[in-house]
Amino acid sequence: MKSVNSFMLRALIGLVFLLVNIISIYMLLRGHNLPGGGFIGGLMTGMSFILLGLVRGWSELQRELPLPPLRMAAFGVLLAILSGLAPLLWGQAFLTQFNFHWTGLPLLGELHVGTPLLFDCGVFFLVGGITVKLVIVLARSTSGLPAFTPGETPYYASTLEGGIEETANEEGDAHAN
Amino acid sequence: MTALNWLLLAILLPTLAVPAVLLAGARERISLGWLTAAPMGASCFLLVGISSTLEPPHAQVVSQPWIPSLGINLTFLMDGLSMFFGWVICGVGLLVCWYAALYLKGSSRENRRFYAGLLFFVTSMLGTVFSDNLLVLFVFWELTGVASFLLIGFWHEDPEAQRGARQSLVVTASTGLCLLVGIILLGQGSGTYSLSELLAGRARPNGGILALMAIGIFGKSAQFPFHFWLPGAMAAPTPVSAYLHSATMVKLGVFLTARIFPIFGDTVLWLELLGGVGFLTMVVGAFLAFRSNDLKALLAHATISQLGFLIGLYAMSASVGMQAEFYHTLSHVFYKAALFMVVGIVQHSTGLRDLRQLGGLGRLMPLTALAGFLGAAAWAGLPLTTGFISKESALTDLLELVKLHPLLGATFLAATLLAATLNTAVAARFFTGIFLGRRPANLTFHRPARSLEIPPALLAAGTLVFGTFPGLLNRPLDWLSGLGTHDKSAGPLALWHGWNGELLLSALVLAVGALLYLTSEHAGWKRAHIPDWLRFDEHFDRGLDGLTHYARRLTHALQADWPPAYLPLLITFLLASAGGIFLSVLDDVSWEGFSWRTHWNVWRGAMAGFTVAAMFGVIFLRRWSAQLIALSVAGFFLTLFFAMYHAPDLAMTQILVESASVVMILLLLARFPSSSQLGLRFEFGWESRHFLRLLLSVGVGLFMGSLVLFADLHRNSEPAGREMLRLSKVAAHGDNGVNTILVDFRGFDTLGEITVLFIAALGGLGLMMRYKRGPRRSNEALPPGFLLGGEEEAP
Repeated sequence: MKSVNSFMLRALIGLVFLLVNIISIYMLLRGHNLPGGGFIGGLMTGMSFILLGLVRGWSELQRELPLPPLRMAAFGVLLAILSGLAPLLWGQAFLTQFNFHWTGLPLLGELHVGTPLLFDCGVFFLVGGITVKLVIVLARSTSGLPAFTPGETPYYASTLEGGIEETANEEGDAHAN
Repeated sequence: MTALNWLLLAILLPTLAVPAVLLAGARERISLGWLTAAPMGASCFLLVGISSTLEPPHAQVVSQPWIPSLGINLTFLMDGLSMFFGWVICGVGLLVCWYAALYLKGSSRENRRFYAGLLFFVTSMLGTVFSDNLLVLFVFWELTGVASFLLIGFWHEDPEAQRGARQSLVVTASTGLCLLVGIILLGQGSGTYSLSELLAGRARPNGGILALMAIGIFGKSAQFPFHFWLPGAMAAPTPVSAYLHSATMVKLGVFLTARIFPIFGDTVLWLELLGGVGFLTMVVGAFLAFRSNDLKALLAHATISQLGFLIGLYAMSASVGMQAEFYHTLSHVFYKAALFMVVGIVQHSTGLRDLRQLGGLGRLMPLTALAGFLGAAAWAGLPLTTGFISKESALTDLLELVKLHPLLGATFLAATLLAATLNTAVAARFFTGIFLGRRPANLTFHRPARSLEIPPALLAAGTLVFGTFPGLLNRPLDWLSGLGTHDKSAGPLALWHGWNGELLLSALVLAVGALLYLTSEHAGWKRAHIPDWLRFDEHFDRGLDGLTHYARRLTHALQADWPPAYLPLLITFLLASAGGIFLSVLDDVSWEGFSWRTHWNVWRGAMAGFTVAAMFGVIFLRRWSAQLIALSVAGFFLTLFFAMYHAPDLAMTQILVESASVVMILLLLARFPSSSQLGLRFEFGWESRHFLRLLLSVGVGLFMGSLVLFADLHRNSEPAGREMLRLSKVAAHGDNGVNTILVDFRGFDTLGEITVLFIAALGGLGLMMRYKRGPRRSNEALPPGFLLGGEEEAP
């Protein structure tokens, strides 16, 4: 699938990506008290990568990713499990939460943090990682896949149809004329 | 620390060391074998320490609640049996680490997976033998299968290893399920899953449960007809074969037989089932070994034979008592692990495993030859080795059994004699074929490291020392069998029992075996290949292929890849059943509180109108991409409802999920050719099938709509949400009720959900990333562990 060929998008995507991620991390951090949370934040980050991929091309995105997304997802599950296991060390039940309250921190002032935030971070990484991975794989597979059986060829090994935007553009042109 | 903590430490220490091994392995030039040996040695040391605190005749049970709601406790049973197996696991494990450190080629980065698997295996083995709760035992039992799968498949690009690993996993895991059913039946029937309580007489055994558990035992211990996975497992590196597939994991079946013997010993089927299968396996294994040329396949078949023998002995024990049962196991551990290591050295130094291409290596590596000789001697049961004493006492038992059950006893005795004769011949061939005779001209040889030869030599020396002076083992074995459940007295072991029937039979076996060897040698082992009908591994593969073939045929027959063909059926069923129930209770429904007016609001009405308009777009637009976008427009309008009802979390989630899924579905649909290219056209019309579809759609819409209405109608006067909101501030220290429920109150559920999400994503990726794998590649693999035998293939 080809990427979207628009100068505006190309110029702005970096800024949009940054903004979306700032908001998503904000959503993650405030989740315990205000609307937001790991799922929403993770999905937002995932969406930001989808945007990046749509504009810059999927293979380039995959090359530029700092971490393999699947590992990030696995790390998320691990983080969630560990945050649940940690209380066991102190003889508490699985997933017991601890809260910390600090006052007079530099820059932040008053801060209230609980271990559920770690759990939420796990969800964040998992959701973000899986979204990115699935979309990259789906997008790259549109250029055709080897089929298991000859009967599957027309279904999976599609080289007949171009990307969505391509056909959409063609149609748009046809209407314009 | 309590005994429980020490034991837990001994069990978990190997697995806890896994990250260290993996991290250390990332650096080149580090000997992982020695690093791996450290936790095993520590476990061994701890076990010895713990056993010194035990006092016969009482087994010690230590317990810690784990999942109390299911009655599963982390309970460990420390008695003679578990201690014996614990020592064997750690002791042989140490030698195997030593051996593997010198045996495995390649960098530590490549090999660290191997050592990690080995450590994981040790933990699961120790867990199995020490578990008191049968369900916990089962979990560890299956974990050993997983470890075995990983280790067999260590060279995962080798098709033989792939096939062997897959077969072993399928066979042991599926037979393990039978064991699980047996365990559950036993536990439910007796009211407890605790082995110590079951052994104390609370068990309600019967033949059916025994049969189910026996299937699990047969699968794990490679008994007929499940024996075929063991030769396939020989695709593993040799240290794994020596450790898992001769000394420890396959002995688990023997272990469990010993464990449940006091429970099931008096059951009708005990002698017939276990004895019958055990002795049959003994003969089949010996026969297959006799007809193999590949050294590892030969040893694997001999192991199968020996395992059958061990299980058969336990089968008899109910009638004639147990004589030196630990001694048999120990003897086999010593000589078979030694022989596997010898084969590994031979392969290491010549690159060959086929008996027909080997010979004359004795002068080149005398120490290995000596180890090979002692091992083969114990295998054949020559005097002064452990094999001899083991065979003598087994014959004593068998002769006792003949007196009690003439027919059965005579059959078992005949089977033992036959198998022992065959084994003698094979053992003779094994030693002479490798070490004696003329060295083939084209044999390339490089000396193995001297220290690589030591572990097998140590094990072989064990067979000699304990065979010549069996009295050395009297005290430890007495202590072991005196501890806990195995209180049947074993007579003192001795080399010389006087002139008796056993000695005569032993001599007869050796003589006939030697004769068999000489005639076969003279004939050049022409018949040494496995007949096709005995190739169970191939039958099994064919069965699996047949299953997938049948599934594909069934799928095609049901047209499950074409939704319009089966969806109407499903929907009709849904409407007929659920809708029918709905209509039948319609009279009892109270319509109180239901009014068109009460919920009316112009904004909501407008939202609903827009949503409906978008849905009309879905129906009447012609291109699927446009339809899809119309559908998501409807989804976005729904979001506004959430926003109006003060559910910002839901609204945000809905927006994000909506946009992500639109992108994903668009990408997915881009993979399909457009319908016109497939020669399909969808036209609006008033034909009967269109009419039917319309009817079904309207029906589903009405059904879902009324479901929503009714769900809303019967709202609980005291909703749970209010209490949750109150608690979220107090107990979870958060203001956002949705979030506190997700990460705190129902945190366990969320954990399960994200795990499932991850697994589902992995499965989906497996389907989407179809690189390299063609449809039938796996079947082209060579059969496992065998060089294709027979005259026609001989080089």
